[in-house]
Amino acid sequence: MPISKPDSALLILGHGSTENPDSSHPSWEHADKIAATGQFGSVHCAFWKEEPSFRQIWPMIEEDEVYIVPNFISEGYFTREVLPRELEIEGHNCERKGKLIHYCDPVGIHSKMTDLLIKRAKEILDPGVELSETTLIIVGHGTNLNKKSVEAIKDQVAAIRESGEPFGNVIDAYMEEAPFIADWKTLTDSPTVIVVPFFIADALHSYQDIPVLLGIESEPTEAASQRDIFRQNPYTIMGRTLYYSSAIGTDPSLAEVIVDQVAYFDEHYRS
Amino acid sequence: MTLGDALENLLPPDSTLRLGELQLSRSPEGSFRAVHSRNRDSMEMLEKLESLAELREMAKFDANNEYRPLKTAPTLKCGWFTECDEPAEFIKRLDAIYPGLFATWVAYDAGDLDPVSLRTTLDRQTGMYRFAGTINDQMANEIMRDVCSPGCIRKIAWPIDDQCAVSRIKPHKRFIPPVCTEACTFAVSKARELVKKAYDKANAPEQS
Repeated sequence: MPISKPDSALLILGHGSTENPDSSHPSWEHADKIAATGQFGSVHCAFWKEEPSFRQIWPMIEEDEVYIVPNFISEGYFTREVLPRELEIEGHNCERKGKLIHYCDPVGIHSKMTDLLIKRAKEILDPGVELSETTLIIVGHGTNLNKKSVEAIKDQVAAIRESGEPFGNVIDAYMEEAPFIADWKTLTDSPTVIVVPFFIADALHSYQDIPVLLGIESEPTEAASQRDIFRQNPYTIMGRTLYYSSAIGTDPSLAEVIVDQVAYFDEHYRS
Repeated sequence: MTLGDALENLLPPDSTLRLGELQLSRSPEGSFRAVHSRNRDSMEMLEKLESLAELREMAKFDANNEYRPLKTAPTLKCGWFTECDEPAEFIKRLDAIYPGLFATWVAYDAGDLDPVSLRTTLDRQTGMYRFAGTINDQMANEIMRDVCSPGCIRKIAWPIDDQCAVSRIKPHKRFIPPVCTEACTFAVSKARELVKKAYDKANAPEQS
């Protein structure tokens, strides 16, 4: 959605990582892409585990109005507790040291994510594979600490099923809670399985941990940016054909979703 | 005053300034240049980096291709330079190398950014870091000695707790002080590690 806010700053928040160099990469890519459009006075990123940190960001922003979009996959512990606390903001609209702050919803709950998941699943399939003979697995982290992260994925699975796309089946699975992604061979019965990670980056979990759980790697590999080849789809495992995509958050269209969250904010939350 | 104005004041035409491991310079005509201080005397063979993405990628790894999650670690690579005419663009390029370091100094020096004590930072933590605030002063000193001092070019401006006095870092004509106004994620992680270690030691089963 076209938007023009030359007097406002856009601040994209990410998790970042002290271990994996690729974690913050999508946020920076989306930020650069949005900055090039000139839609905002300035575009910034801040991270929980990298720099600039949430605590370091405010002196860098000169505009008096700031839209904050969490580049997170779900609502929950981070978006409701950690980010507002570290940024010293409250609610959707607040004033902080003379700046008007608008705290938008995280990208992962935007309705466009469903179309992106479908697009990503289809684009990694080889020509000629019938969708009706595939099972699409949307895989997330899963944690008992945050039920919202699982809800976000269940919502996407329901939306894809209702979309009319002819996948044989669409299911959810998780790293750390049932149904476990490590059990994909028994969770599915189709000849072809497509796994799309509902993560922001091709980092520790989606690039290094889940491939081991799927059985396409015997142990965690180097980070994606340190390898010459990203993936070699498809994988044949026990007579089944498996396609594993990159994380949904790396899709270039996420930049549009970030801007759309600002537009959605103006329509629904702006006071 | 904008950050661009502040930069132009600190770095007038035909002058140089240090910022961490960087040598900043401004030509008599007013254009800005940043180079690793070890390369300041010879620009030959240096790679020109112009985009923010290129500068971020350069700053992401050290000379041994090890990931640098802390951008103010004293391990910035040599062999490159960047230059441009606009102060606002130059600040973006500095931020790609040292995120927020320049703006933090400007805000701190203007009295707009108060340092946050280590205990305030740790007491605020939740989740897996919620016990970090139980460190004792010895552990706090251990964090500064083992994590901050060898691992980061920033100068600590925060006290251990709000009762401690800490001297303000003063401006300098030859360099921009790389100031740390609040303990970072590495210090918080170290605090958690020290608390956990002490807890495990206190609760270890007695050896018979």
